[in-house]
Amino acid sequence: MDNREAKFVLNAYRPGGQDANDPRFAEALEQVRRDPVLERWFVDSITFDTAMTEKLRAIEVPPDLRENILAGAKVSRPLRWSKPFVKWAIAAALISMAILGSFIWHNTRPAYLAGWQDQALEVISTLVRNETSFDAQSRNAGELLAWLRANHAPAAQELSDNLGKLPSLGCKRFSWNGIPVSVICFMRPDGGLIHLVTTNAVPPSSRSLKTAPEFVRQDGWAIATWREGDTTYMLALEGSRDQLRTYLL
Amino acid sequence: MSATDFQRLVDRQYAPLYRFALSLSKSEADAADLTQQTFFLWASKGDQLRDRSKAKSWLFTTLYREFLGRRRHEVRFPKIELDDVREEEMSILPNVNAFDSATVLQALREVEEPFRAPLTLFYLEQFSYQKIADMLEVPIGTVMSRLSRGKALLRQRLFSKEKLLGNKVVAFQSDKRVESNG
Repeated sequence: MDNREAKFVLNAYRPGGQDANDPRFAEALEQVRRDPVLERWFVDSITFDTAMTEKLRAIEVPPDLRENILAGAKVSRPLRWSKPFVKWAIAAALISMAILGSFIWHNTRPAYLAGWQDQALEVISTLVRNETSFDAQSRNAGELLAWLRANHAPAAQELSDNLGKLPSLGCKRFSWNGIPVSVICFMRPDGGLIHLVTTNAVPPSSRSLKTAPEFVRQDGWAIATWREGDTTYMLALEGSRDQLRTYLL
Repeated sequence: MSATDFQRLVDRQYAPLYRFALSLSKSEADAADLTQQTFFLWASKGDQLRDRSKAKSWLFTTLYREFLGRRRHEVRFPKIELDDVREEEMSILPNVNAFDSATVLQALREVEEPFRAPLTLFYLEQFSYQKIADMLEVPIGTVMSRLSRGKALLRQRLFSKEKLLGNKVVAFQSDKRVESNG
């Protein structure tokens, strides 16, 4: 692959780093690592794309658009429930099914993400897409942990060996239902990212968690969650469970 | 879908959908109308979508189809090959931060439509090339080609606007551009 072809392919590479594990970009990214001229172009190109995203997302939306959509949608919905008997019969059937479904679900439910974890992924996505900024930035995760502790935010007691070796990008604090949560983002050697989320409280949905990590796959994310005392941890990356396991060691 | 869920969906998606529509339609009124029409279609047909996690893709795809359906004349999409993209067009980058959003949008609107839609989806929502291919119903290679050519065309339009601004704009990390502006 020459530089011209690499540029052609890399023009489809998203600036947030979401494509770092996509094999279609592997050869072009390898070429970037080998050729300093191409590397310079790639960095400039990512900066250009990031600026374009910011500019387009700053376009103002008409103030009455939302209300017009909500008002118009009411009259666009198909008319239903016209006969009271049909309405009550369907409602009764739905309630029965819900009770049965709830019984089955409680006995066979798969691993799932709790609300605070969904919000953590949302925060991480906004960081990756440059929609929000870090509270503090450093390539040294130890400095970020110290910053979080100094600001009374949840911070991991210690990092796993493999995670501790990675350069960090930054950290951010947020809250879920009043519970303080923090996230630290790290750069993996393959160009992708990995995120450690920490909360010192135990969200009600996570009280059954154990010290051994529980794994969940959702929308391309591999997520591990575990507890150590009153601290709950979540480690997440866009990739496979095996990739994630490496950073738990 | 309950009224509350619908309202949540509107709150999350109406602004990016409007911006996508605005890049396609060239008029704020048309863009607002396209956005509203897309949600009205969701209100009447959205129940048919079993996988609710695909609601966002459904909305963008439907808006694009609505846009295509409204065009009176048929546009033949030019076939763009890799050879058509000149090296120099891919090498020099204008300073986007020197422009306001309205100027950037104007430059984007000046890019021919077949390139504009994938470009806007790429920038606005950072959709992957795979997702853009699914939405626009074109092969992955075509998406990559249109992104590459579209970016080159966009840079040309921005360079034209740089010239209009004259010395107010400093070229973006390119010694060659600094000299030519100086």
